[in-house]
Amino acid sequence: MAVTKEFLKSEREQSWRVDIRKLLKNKERTALTRVHMGEVAPAVRVKSNIEVNSGLTQDEAVNESRRCLDCPDPTCITGCPVEINIPKFIKRIEQGDFLKAAQVLKETSALPAVCGRVCPQEKQCEAKCFYQLKMKKEPVAIGHLERFAADYERESGQISVPGIADSNGIKVAVIGSGPAGLTFAGDMAKLGYDVTVFEALHEIGGVLKYGIPEFRLPNNIVDVEINNLREMGVKFENNFIVGRTASFADLKEEGFEAFFTGSGAGLPRFMNIPGENYIGVLSSNEYLTRVNLMDAANPTTDTPVVSGKNVAVIGGGNTAMDSVRTAKRLGADRAMIIYRRSMEEMPARVEEVKHAQEEGIEFLNLCNPVEYFADETGRVNKVRVQKMELGAPDDSGRRRPVPMEGSEYDIEVDTVVVSVGVSPNPLIPSALPQLKTTRWGTIVVDEEKLQTSMPEMFAGGDIVRGGATVILAMGDGRNAAAAMHTYLQEKLNS
Amino acid sequence: MQKLETTYLGLPIKNPIVVGSSGLTTTIGGIKKLANAGAAAIVLKSVFEEEIKAEANQTIGQQLGVDENNLEFFDYYDYQVKNDVLDNYVALIREAKENVDIPIIASINCSSYSEWVAFANKIEDAGADGIELNIFKLPFDAKTEADVIEKVYFDIVRKVKERLRIPVAIKLAPYFTNLGNVINRLSHSGADGLVLFNRFTSIDYDIENDQVVTGKVYSGADDYVNTLRWISVTSTDAGCDLIASTGVHDYRTLVKMILAGASSVQIVSAIYKEGPELITAMLNELKAWMERRNVHSISEFKGRLSQGRSANPEVFERVQFMRYFSGYKG
Amino acid sequence: MNKIVDKEYFSENVIRLEIEAPRIAKARRAGHFVIVKIGEKGERIPLTIASANPEKGTITLVIQRVGVSSRRITELNIGDEITDLVGPLGEATHIEKVGTVLACGGGVGVAPLLPIVEALKKAGNRVVTIIAARTKDLIILEDQIARYSDEVIVMTDDGSYGKKGLVTDGMKEVMEREKVDQSVVIGPAIMMKFAALTTKEYNVPTVASLNTIMVDGTGMCGACRITVGGKTKFVCVDGPEFDAHQVDFDEMLLRLNGYKEIEKKAEQEYLQSKEKK
Repeated sequence: MAVTKEFLKSEREQSWRVDIRKLLKNKERTALTRVHMGEVAPAVRVKSNIEVNSGLTQDEAVNESRRCLDCPDPTCITGCPVEINIPKFIKRIEQGDFLKAAQVLKETSALPAVCGRVCPQEKQCEAKCFYQLKMKKEPVAIGHLERFAADYERESGQISVPGIADSNGIKVAVIGSGPAGLTFAGDMAKLGYDVTVFEALHEIGGVLKYGIPEFRLPNNIVDVEINNLREMGVKFENNFIVGRTASFADLKEEGFEAFFTGSGAGLPRFMNIPGENYIGVLSSNEYLTRVNLMDAANPTTDTPVVSGKNVAVIGGGNTAMDSVRTAKRLGADRAMIIYRRSMEEMPARVEEVKHAQEEGIEFLNLCNPVEYFADETGRVNKVRVQKMELGAPDDSGRRRPVPMEGSEYDIEVDTVVVSVGVSPNPLIPSALPQLKTTRWGTIVVDEEKLQTSMPEMFAGGDIVRGGATVILAMGDGRNAAAAMHTYLQEKLNS
Repeated sequence: MQKLETTYLGLPIKNPIVVGSSGLTTTIGGIKKLANAGAAAIVLKSVFEEEIKAEANQTIGQQLGVDENNLEFFDYYDYQVKNDVLDNYVALIREAKENVDIPIIASINCSSYSEWVAFANKIEDAGADGIELNIFKLPFDAKTEADVIEKVYFDIVRKVKERLRIPVAIKLAPYFTNLGNVINRLSHSGADGLVLFNRFTSIDYDIENDQVVTGKVYSGADDYVNTLRWISVTSTDAGCDLIASTGVHDYRTLVKMILAGASSVQIVSAIYKEGPELITAMLNELKAWMERRNVHSISEFKGRLSQGRSANPEVFERVQFMRYFSGYKG
Repeated sequence: MNKIVDKEYFSENVIRLEIEAPRIAKARRAGHFVIVKIGEKGERIPLTIASANPEKGTITLVIQRVGVSSRRITELNIGDEITDLVGPLGEATHIEKVGTVLACGGGVGVAPLLPIVEALKKAGNRVVTIIAARTKDLIILEDQIARYSDEVIVMTDDGSYGKKGLVTDGMKEVMEREKVDQSVVIGPAIMMKFAALTTKEYNVPTVASLNTIMVDGTGMCGACRITVGGKTKFVCVDGPEFDAHQVDFDEMLLRLNGYKEIEKKAEQEYLQSKEKK
């Protein structure tokens, strides 16, 4: 679905856009400074799950949109994994037509309210903004504007439901209701297919619900998107594990012609160091699932979570940030990140790290656990860590951490959250042994068509990429829908 | 009847020939052949921390996506590789123990011990009879003082011995400022055996193509002399078994090492060249020598020609070629 | 959806529920379990499927009241719905003809043992079954088990029914008098630990069906992790059955205590709130 230069040019030449560009001179635009989105004060926000970012006001959004120069060669789009027509939606905001801005977003991104909140814009669109590339100034706040437009549409109640083609009666099954599956389902529904999404858990939304905490991505926002899909005719079946509750053969007998697997990377990884099985050492999946999915911190729910006063989270990615900030909100006196490399090398989104620092999270960098100790009941009470120093760069371009022999010391902890990565969920590959997978459990697909070694099965998202981003999962859902459409049309017309 | 029994890291073994860590000891088939040929103990091929990091590194290099979008997925990938490697290694130990009845010694090659703590216990639980640690940091870092480097070895021995019941050997390289002193102190530090010496891959130059190439892979029959000197100099006062390694190619070197004070030898290159049958041949020739020389057990001649028992101890310390050798007639 | 169609009290605290679940009933094999959740705020808990009726489209669960969640489920009545029910989960029991099998069920572990005993008998084995509990009231399914066993030995700790003694006493007696080719043990973790140690002395290969804490039950969180033969395994996807001689029961017992105090307190509060009504 490559966005061509000609297409972009013709869009840019439309009169409304020409008029908007004329409103201000480029010099005036570049003189404006980047908006700073309101955030709830750290001392306040650590006491609840309130969303940290407050969003932009209409004035702030319009002002920020003025900074965008509507470049003839919009390099920002090259940074977007799904090639959203960024200048177009920003200029709609400048025009004051926020609903149209949201529609532009929805032409390419199925869940713009989600992306606006969780995309690592600093590595993607904003990194390629003209301001960043050529002027070394702060880029246009593309992420904030995307969130603004999506939120405006949702709050206005005038949510655009895209046009749906006539029903063609062809049944397709989606496995997994995370970002890849939801996007795929929406696109196929638009094309007139009879889509059913099968979800193993009792809640729809996958990692958007169980993984990303309320203070980053409120669950009710995800629910609005899911309801949209219901309006479009997408059916959801929860508590259904494809391959176990019903086999693929069963589903084919029931008339499903093709399948999209978006079952994600929900298999926890541990370091396998001594003491890792003591009570109080959990995977980040378990910790976040208890809190986000089962609402365990709420005393009126049945699922418990024990989150102590001295919580150590091992890792440096977004999941680690989510875990440690959750621990803070659950009452930790010390909520620590233990990461073996330096701050700059942490994979987490820059904004998450900044928010975490503001919230009083302690960062123990160049530090790595080697062993856990417990009290007489088997509950963890200490972690032994070793200091690291940075050696020569490895193939990720980062300097590798080298253990400093003899530098071990102990830290008191009562809860440890191991957040060192996840692996692809094995349920589908184990139900289909003939499905080609890689050595780390991801499903092998044709790069363009996202078709697996079983022609009627397509796949996308983390189950293909390992653990990657929400936006990429959505892009996969989009591409797979287009490819499956072609495949089904050919298959049923031959 | 000649008795060939001796000890390895304090464990009783039936003869002094142990097969060292190498490609020979990486499969059950290979291990069985060596045991059948008479090997008294096997040191399994080393788990190399370096290889694990290299494999993890290579994967990250190949798999890192655009904008590092999957960096979080691969950030601790080396732990995954390590755990896979270790699972396979533990399986190898278990299988080896089921298939042969001679001691199986595990071997780890690492630069920092702390990351291997968990593994040491798994090795023990899997049934390994001992563990050999290859801890080597070539002193490329001109800034680190000699005593700091030395301290690492002692720390590691202490930490490992705290956790394990099975005996621990350290395989040393001969690159210490005061080698004799280090060997002596390490042998009293709690280690159950010292393997002298580790043999490194070397570099060489291809002068026709201006290329750096790997030096010769196997030891030659004359490469034993450095080991011989140092064993003979340290064996009398050593606090644990000394094991000779490098250049043991026939029964003569085997006998020489025992005369110097080694309790056993490790053989690798010679077996590569001549096959496991070499072990059988060497044991027969050893017995024949013992019969010729009228010795009935290993302990009878062990250390007989060591410096500690020599009437002319200074001979061992002579390092320069002097007048005696120049043919000069004054 | 997931309506309760039948309910029976085996004793005051052990209840049988038959639930509408046509897909699960069709896919279920002996050894499989389900995850159940009652109400919006309920907990997800694992329960072994005691039996299934594919023609009727129902599954049967036998539940012992041990805490808040099991009480919530057993307080439902015929016609009520289970809010969330997902399965079948876990790996099915491996059944083959080996000769003589010693099947041992402790307490409510007899319920998941029943389908395994049935399958083993149908595969042509001689089946000697020991069912054990602290006291007579906790002995369940004796008649049903007897239907598929060549011999049934009942043991109670206090001697109030059957023979007086522990399940391990009964096991030793059997293994002393005849050759046993395989053993299956299901019950409280501590019972399985000692049962495994007992069969080890007689070199009898033994399978245990483990019951750990679970949250999702689909392999996602690692709460159910145990160590088997030195390796980490997840009870929900690699189990629930494992080679009992390789399981680190001490670690499993340790981890089972993780929420003991919280659970006790929650149960007290729950019972108090019921009394107020």
